[in-house]
Amino acid sequence: MNLDFTTLVPYLHMFWVGVLVTIKASILAVILGAVMGTIVGALRVLPIKPLKAIASAYIYVIRGTPLLIQLFLIYFGLPSLGLNLPAFAAGIVGLSVNSSGYVGEIVRGGIEAVPNGQWEASKVLGLSYFQTMRYIILPQAIRNMLPAFGNEFVTLIKESSLLSTLAITELTMVGQQVRSVTYASFETFILVGLIYLVLTSFIGLGLSFVEKKWQVN
Amino acid sequence: MTEAIEVKNLHKSYGDLDVLKGVSLSVREGEVVSVIGPSGSGKSTLARCICRLEEINSGEIYLYGQRIDGRKHSNKALSSMVGMIFQQFNLFPHLSVLDNITLTSVKVRGFSKEKAEDLAKDLLAKVGLSEKMYARPRQLSGGQMQRVAIARALAMEPRIMLFDEPTSALDPELVGEVLEVIAGLAETGMTMMIITHEMLFAKEVSDRVLFMDGGGIVEDGPPSQVLVHPSHVRTQTFLRRMLAHFGEQLTQNTASREG
Repeated sequence: MNLDFTTLVPYLHMFWVGVLVTIKASILAVILGAVMGTIVGALRVLPIKPLKAIASAYIYVIRGTPLLIQLFLIYFGLPSLGLNLPAFAAGIVGLSVNSSGYVGEIVRGGIEAVPNGQWEASKVLGLSYFQTMRYIILPQAIRNMLPAFGNEFVTLIKESSLLSTLAITELTMVGQQVRSVTYASFETFILVGLIYLVLTSFIGLGLSFVEKKWQVN
Repeated sequence: MTEAIEVKNLHKSYGDLDVLKGVSLSVREGEVVSVIGPSGSGKSTLARCICRLEEINSGEIYLYGQRIDGRKHSNKALSSMVGMIFQQFNLFPHLSVLDNITLTSVKVRGFSKEKAEDLAKDLLAKVGLSEKMYARPRQLSGGQMQRVAIARALAMEPRIMLFDEPTSALDPELVGEVLEVIAGLAETGMTMMIITHEMLFAKEVSDRVLFMDGGGIVEDGPPSQVLVHPSHVRTQTFLRRMLAHFGEQLTQNTASREG
């Protein structure tokens, strides 16, 4: 078997465009997912039963159904309710919603990992529930959450390849396009895979840097 | 005059487990009361009910005449009445020693940062830890952490201090420095309730000793009576077991505060 990567050279600019779309989609989704997930996670630990139940159900459904189906529901399903989203917007919404389910669990886990004694000391010292959350629990919980949060970012970059099913020209879609022209399937998807690996490795490196820095302070 | 702490017929259970079975007690302003007794006797639960870390099943708890069981009082209002020292210190690990002490002065009492820091520095000097002001809790020994926790609680200037086995998590050589701080506090006339297994300390520092067993107060009196001439069989049995640790000093009526 002969691998000839030079056949891909004329198409490198297309890969570059695809990488940028993948990065853009992942960053947007991770930010939106983090915001939504933090709200869901906070509702999940709030001592208010109905809100807790709603947040739990949301997490249950999101984590229990495939991302691909969620994307299809948003892109192909919502128009029947009169809500037409452009492909890219639908993709971002789908990825963010999906991510928020997982981030919600990360946030809940991070908050619950803070020992109960911190709540008790805060209460006896006169801090309210929200003051305790803000000044005592969350600063500690964020440190607990950081590794899992980095993993979530890595997962998002990889799962953004599913956006190709909505005909968004991100990295995987570009791969399919290049393959259909060059017929160099193996070379194309080895390259695509390697690019994903580089992207996810950067996240890993960045994360361990942040964690170290946090340790020192 | 109203009592500092008054507990009437307090019942507390966790599920099927009755931990407190109708406890009543009162503590006068300025009185130092030690609570002794075997594990599971309800000592800690009693203290936790008084500072409202536990909801009670029935009964009444008054601090300076105000009924505090139920949800009427905010955490803030309660913190000016009663402070609590935990076995596990519960310092805030992400904050410096100074910030541990100033946080609630600023956020709860509304002090300026300068005023809060002046107060914190005074208190750190009192517990002998001025040089650790900028350290993180994890850089301190257990004894130092507990002394910071005491300074932190005092920064709220509560009228009553509760100590829930303050030295039980410490290495033996660190117990003395913490007991010294607590004894110093007792000298200032603060109302205190100390749950402890340090019998000699209880004998020296207390005006009264309560012996708890099986969810109730079995014996209540001056240390010379409860620790030296206990009248109940259960107190006698408990103290006999304790004697193995503390030796003859416990039974000799020396160095007692009321002596």
